Order: sequence, then C-alpha cells, then structure tokens
Amino acid sequence: MQPLVDARVLRPTQMALALKLVSEMDLLRLKTIARLHARGLPPDIGWEDLLQEALTRVLTGARRVPEQIAPVAFIAGVMRSLRSEHWRRAGEMRARYAASDYRSYRTREQALRDTAPDPERSLIAIEELKTIERLFADDPVVLRIIDALGEGLSAEQIRTALALSKTDYDSARKRMRRCLLREGLTCRPK
Amino acid sequence: MPTKVTRLFPETTLERVLEALERELVEATEEEILGAAHDLGMKPEMKGSAAFLGLRYPSARRREEFFDPQWVARVLNDPRRIWLASRSLPPGPQAPRPSAARRARTRPGVRRSPRTPKEPTGS
Repeated sequence: MQPLVDARVLRPTQMALALKLVSEMDLLRLKTIARLHARGLPPDIGWEDLLQEALTRVLTGARRVPEQIAPVAFIAGVMRSLRSEHWRRAGEMRARYAASDYRSYRTREQALRDTAPDPERSLIAIEELKTIERLFADDPVVLRIIDALGEGLSAEQIRTALALSKTDYDSARKRMRRCLLREGLTCRPK
Repeated sequence: MPTKVTRLFPETTLERVLEALERELVEATEEEILGAAHDLGMKPEMKGSAAFLGLRYPSARRREEFFDPQWVARVLNDPRRIWLASRSLPPGPQAPRPSAARRARTRPGVRRSPRTPKEPTGS
C-alpha cells in the first residue's frame, strides 16, 4: 500500500465525511478498528494506510456497500480483508522462496502446495496476543472472555463456561470496549 | 476412544480475537466513544480535536514513509556505521581542549609588537 503523503489532496476520510458516508463519530470508531487490524502488520503499513485504503476501495466502487449492512461494519470488514490479503501475499512469497530452493521437498509443486504455518506469522501472533492480554491485565474477567473468544466460543457458551450472569457479561464487555476505545484513540503513530 | 486433540494456531486465535473485538467496537455507542476520548483529555466535539489526528488532519510522519524499513534496520545495526557515527560525535567535557595545547606550542616571538621603523639618518 502506498502511504498518502500529499496534504494538498482531499484524504479518503475527508471525502467519506463530505459525502456523508460516515459521521464524525463513525470516523473515530473506524480509527479504533483500524488500529486493531493494524496489529502485527509490518511497520510500513500503519492504521491510517489500512483505513484510507479501505475507504478508497469503497469510494471508488471497488467494494460496493450492500444496502442492508451499515457502512461502518462494511468498512471494518474491508479492513479485515485487507489484513488477510497481506498475509495471503506474504504466504505466497514464502512459498515461492521455498520452491526456489526445494531441496527439502520432492518436487517444486510439492513445495508450492506446502500449507505449513508461517513461523514468522505465528511469532507475531503470539506477541500481539500478549500485547492484548497486557491491555486487560487488571481485569481477570475480561482476560477470560478474550481467551474464550480466541477459542471461538459464542456469547452463550462463554457465559456458561465462565459462569457469568448476563449483567456481569455485559458489564465486562462494556469495560473491554472502553479500554479498546481509549487504546484506539491515542495519538501514537501505530 | 481417545480424545480428539485439535491444535489451535496462534494466528487463528489472534484473528478470532480481533474479529470479536471489531464487532464490539462496531457496536460501541457514541457515549462510549466520547467517554473514552474524554478519558484521554480529548474533546471530539471541538473543531481540531486531537482525536481526529490521522483522520481529518495528517498525523506525525513515520520514518517508514520516507525510508525503506529494511534499509533503516541495516544502517542502524551495521557496527561499522555505528563506529563511524561515534567518531563524528563532539568530544566530551573531560577531553583535553585542543586550543590549550595549541597555545602552548606557539612561539613567544610571534605576538611581539611590530618594531618601529628606524629614523632615516642624514648621511
């Protein structure tokens, strides 16, 4: 992704605001989501790049917003898919490198078909999970909820597994949201 | 029957966590967003609030926007370049002042006042 460095042109965020695609509050919400999805990406891809790219794709019509989906939810989904696209490309590059030196494989095709997890990506994921855990270090209930979310449990399953009432679960989610919003709105570059 | 063990890769766990947290943020109310901004001392209601940095106004430039990150890492980790950089640093306060040494080596006669020209004789 090419970073936007020219201040003379209207940024996609400003354009989306002018076209009333999103409100100012939605922009702040998208900022926090972009920061979330920029986790673990290389340092040359920041949250701004992710958000501006997602908005550019929506504004140019490369991604068309369905009528029944809120624009914010759709743009968040585009950012998620951009993240997946990055890792897919990185995986392809790794496979090509492996295929160019395929002594450990029987054939070049076998090397290209290798679906073993990328060790670098695994390491980055472990680091990012630790960072998220540190964010909620003083809230054991939220930490347990995040563990359960990582295992792919639904809200009902989490409440049953952690023996939480609906009120306790909702208040934990509220604390989690507040913490995430604070983290997402800071002025740090990444 | 042995229990089926399913291995969960950390990247899968991270993606699931991020997706769930994304849903939480999409559902966050305006009051919650404003509350979080106020916690940080920001006032999104005001024009030019710091909360809109990177959205309406460009944020601080990152080094990666100007330099290739791999090149920066190579330069910063190259011991030869570190040595060269330390050579170009100004000397510390304990180092001997070169001006004092130079003053000691100057010849005493150099700064003598110019001799007055002799009076022309009548012969």
